[in-house]
Amino acid sequence: MRTTRRRFLRGVGGTALGLPWLEGVAKARSVAISPLRMVQFYVPIGVVRRGFFPGEADHIIPKGNLGGVMKSLGEQNPNQSLKPLDVLTPTMQPLDGLKDQVALITGMDRQFQNGTDVHAQCASCYLSSAKPFEVKDSAWPLARTLDHIVADHVGQQTPFKTLEFSCNNHTDNKESIYFDNISWYGTGHVAPSIRDPRKMYQRLFSTHEINRYKDVTSLVLDDARDLKRQLGQSDKQKLDEYFESIRAIELQLTRLENMKLDLTGIDFEEPTDAYLPRGDYIRLMGDLMVTALQAGLTNVATFMIGPERWDTPYMFDGLFDKPRSHHKMSHNQTVMIDDLLKVDRFHMEQYVYLIQQMMNIQDAGGATLLDNTLFTFGSGLGDGSTHQYNDLPIIVAGGGARTTRGMHFHMSESTPLANLWLTQAHMMGVPLDTFADSTGVIRGYAKG
Amino acid sequence: MMDATVMQKNRVIHVRPLFVRAFVLVCFACTGRVVAIADNLPTVTTFLETHCIECHGVDGEGDVDLQLLASGQEQSAELIELVHHVIDRHEMPPEEMEQPTKDARQRVAGELYKLLAEKTRQTQAPRKQSLRRMNRFQYHNAVTDLFKLRCAVFALPERVARVYADYFDPAKGRLPDTIAVGNRPLGKSQLIEPRLAGVAPFPQDLRAEHGFDTQADHLSLSPLLMESFLSLGQSILQSRDFTEKNVGIWSEFFEAPKKDSGPQSNVVETRLTKFLTLAFRRPVEEETLRRYVSFVTAKRADGVTFEEAMKAVAAAVIASPRFLYIYNADSQIDGAELLDPYSFASRLSFFLWGSIPDEQLLAAAGAGMLKDKQVIREEVRRMLKSKKLKRFCDAFPLQWLQLDRMISATPDPDLFPQFYFSKYRLSMHMMLEPLLLFEAVLLENLPVTQFVHSDFTYRSQQLNKAYAELGLEVASAKPSGPGRLVFQRTSTESMRSGGVITNAAVMTMLSNPERSQPISRGAWLASVIFNDPPKPPPADVPPLPEHAGIETETLTLRERLSAHRERADCRGCHEQIDPLGFALENYDAVGRWRSTYKNGRSVNASGKLFHQYDFANITEFKEAILKEDATFVKAFAKHLLSFALGRRLTPWDNVDVEDIVATTAGDGYKIQDIIEGVVMSPALRSP
Repeated sequence: MRTTRRRFLRGVGGTALGLPWLEGVAKARSVAISPLRMVQFYVPIGVVRRGFFPGEADHIIPKGNLGGVMKSLGEQNPNQSLKPLDVLTPTMQPLDGLKDQVALITGMDRQFQNGTDVHAQCASCYLSSAKPFEVKDSAWPLARTLDHIVADHVGQQTPFKTLEFSCNNHTDNKESIYFDNISWYGTGHVAPSIRDPRKMYQRLFSTHEINRYKDVTSLVLDDARDLKRQLGQSDKQKLDEYFESIRAIELQLTRLENMKLDLTGIDFEEPTDAYLPRGDYIRLMGDLMVTALQAGLTNVATFMIGPERWDTPYMFDGLFDKPRSHHKMSHNQTVMIDDLLKVDRFHMEQYVYLIQQMMNIQDAGGATLLDNTLFTFGSGLGDGSTHQYNDLPIIVAGGGARTTRGMHFHMSESTPLANLWLTQAHMMGVPLDTFADSTGVIRGYAKG
Repeated sequence: MMDATVMQKNRVIHVRPLFVRAFVLVCFACTGRVVAIADNLPTVTTFLETHCIECHGVDGEGDVDLQLLASGQEQSAELIELVHHVIDRHEMPPEEMEQPTKDARQRVAGELYKLLAEKTRQTQAPRKQSLRRMNRFQYHNAVTDLFKLRCAVFALPERVARVYADYFDPAKGRLPDTIAVGNRPLGKSQLIEPRLAGVAPFPQDLRAEHGFDTQADHLSLSPLLMESFLSLGQSILQSRDFTEKNVGIWSEFFEAPKKDSGPQSNVVETRLTKFLTLAFRRPVEEETLRRYVSFVTAKRADGVTFEEAMKAVAAAVIASPRFLYIYNADSQIDGAELLDPYSFASRLSFFLWGSIPDEQLLAAAGAGMLKDKQVIREEVRRMLKSKKLKRFCDAFPLQWLQLDRMISATPDPDLFPQFYFSKYRLSMHMMLEPLLLFEAVLLENLPVTQFVHSDFTYRSQQLNKAYAELGLEVASAKPSGPGRLVFQRTSTESMRSGGVITNAAVMTMLSNPERSQPISRGAWLASVIFNDPPKPPPADVPPLPEHAGIETETLTLRERLSAHRERADCRGCHEQIDPLGFALENYDAVGRWRSTYKNGRSVNASGKLFHQYDFANITEFKEAILKEDATFVKAFAKHLLSFALGRRLTPWDNVDVEDIVATTAGDGYKIQDIIEGVVMSPALRSP
């Protein structure tokens, strides 16, 4: 099958279209049982609560920047409830027709640790959720994040244990790494994301020659072993990053080599460096991710639809005629609420696009790729003005028969977000008793 | 730090009271001999009991318990430093409390400092991780120096000022009066310059908040980045521009030896010994050398040409951890007082040249001469005369002043149409003014107080025109285009111009598109000029009540923001930040002078610095800073030291900085003396 897919997509704009069926991959996959994948889709700077949360349509609009409020302005139901997801709020409208594919989970919280910026911490610690002050010698409650913990179990056969995507096309670099990364190997050890679709394409599909680096890596590894003997304890640990990196690359090259034939079945036109309107850019990054999941290049991915804070305006093509800063708008809800709602909805549309892409892909055993993926939409802030770490907006799509869908889970007061992460870890086959500050699992979400 | 927009909306800002910062510090009580204050320093004990313990006792405010300090049980250097700081700066006790006499304050501050100095001398500074990856800028420079490249490796927009007509020559001791300069990230086609084709850079390493892009805990390695380093090795060496023309070490390294130069393996060994020593910045071990030689021999045996075999080995060398990491070689020996000479040489060259040491510096290390203070001084002076010093000017001042924030400054085109011209923004010119001033101060070895006020500055005609009322005499030059800009040195007529604080770049980047942001400006002054950044807001402060019924249009900014200081829990930090920011209110959102606001109210730029010096206007404000020049110099030296060490400073380092300030005061705080002081400090010379 040789459809030129990018052109195909471009021709019809943002409409959902099926990805090409990968014959080779399908054969390879049909032998084994198709694995469950996990994708974290991160939305920065929270949402407009009135637009997103059922029952909050009449809640007060935060005025200006309520930097230190850090809680919902409106009343929240402190008790747990489980209802059918019947009516969709305005921001969730794009999910119309897909209600049976998703679960809305509200009422979950993270804990803020005093001492670092709210935006930096809400992103960098979103998938870590460590208890405040539990991680020693760090200003951040940041330990190995969920995606890597899960990948330690389900990433052993794929060329890439995880993939990190970020739709951050800012050219200035005014913010530190903590604003732009939700994926961390460990405290202070970032798993850097790729922002450029072309670079991601090349990483995934360009022909790697297995022997290209082999003689070099064995030489430099000997250097690293010598060096390690001469270092103090903490430096030794830091140097492990070098060994781990080389090992990961070697595995990656070997596995890519083994998949070479399968990968030739993928017909994905190499992205150019031409400017893409924001929606096209996000969807192109998304297509790359979906293809990587489909092809078995990885089972775990994180996807930031934009960086935290980063005041620099950029174009939301089609929404506004001038570049706008999402962050600045979020601090001016009384004036810009309608524009912010457009941004929220735009982000939701991109999520929905990816849900549809995954639904259109037949995975092994008759299920769709979406059925075999836990695809979570979420933000580290419950609102961009109050900077609250509680009552976070979370939607989980996919999982097929393994999950309860079409429902709205409202969690009882102070349920940690880590409960969802623990639930997902279990579903991914990771036998954890607890995860970070978790107090249990989301009861009734996982089936069987 | 503070969320930038916190300051834009002239609403509530919640900054934790000053003492909260101690919370984390006291957790790391440090070991060592306990000197009981109660025994030695009754002055301190009495002072603490009289003025502090009422609020900061058991379960004290901001989680600070000074009962322990007063009774001699809590003796961490961090706590002593904190208490010294707030007493010395008049930040505590709060204004509404009974104040100690000036004398008592000074005496206690002095005693506490003595105690801190003693404490840091008696106990060893906590060992820090030393291993850090080169950042992108350093990697670029190191590769350039290793191969003696005559072109760039890849584009580096983070090097803002592009040199034309070779204006930067430290050996001359003066920056020329007329300078042709480009702005790489903002100017027209300024990233186009000769470089190696086909080499793709890895992403820029971002600076730490209130820190630098040299900070070790921000420089980690991932498979993604490692793959970049492996492929960079290939793409650099295989670039079609990697030729004799561009590569300074071509004939001595890559070129096949002549027939009569003896066995080829000997030649390879000799060449690799020199190359590896330079690349790894220390003598190459026998076993390592043997591995690299065998690598070449094996390639040759496979029929690879000499040149290609040497390229292959060079590609491996620059992917080795010994090249990519800066580290202390003997860091496993606890108690070593001095860093080993090679590690020290690296520290020095990455500080001043953003790159690997040259052969001379390595030779000095090898000859054991870097233990001799006089030799170190001579080396520093030599390095300060080298053109490689440009790398320091490309890295330090931009990050110190946070000028990268200027790249995205977009004043409202309707309110400030003159900020935009053809397809460009005036920021292209503005950013260069403080950078050129920095270069002049450094090359001419002027006092660092010139950063507070200088009697000269550099302006292009276009920039000068944009200053309107603050325009100066700028000699006419060929009109500058959006690429190559012509800047002229000119005298400042008053304290309204000059220095790094009040130039258009800083004023513009600390404004929002519509108006100035005093709190942003105050926070910037606190962190950049005084190196005392306000802490991020706490989690649990409720919003301020609305000021019902007051028409904001008729208020001045100061009145609108006064709410911050009405509440005790906001006041701590806002009393520190707000007056600083208001001092700059005469500069509008693009740095032009104004005496009145649009609503007709006049600008009030008066205030009090450090709770001590009243000022009525910007001139008196700058004068007040200069009265406290040691405070500014200390802040500056701490920035330098943190940049050089690649980490946050400890009380041990800060005591070293006090010494630097004391020894450079006599000669008026000349910048090269301060740099030399930083290099000579125990902090830099010990592991």
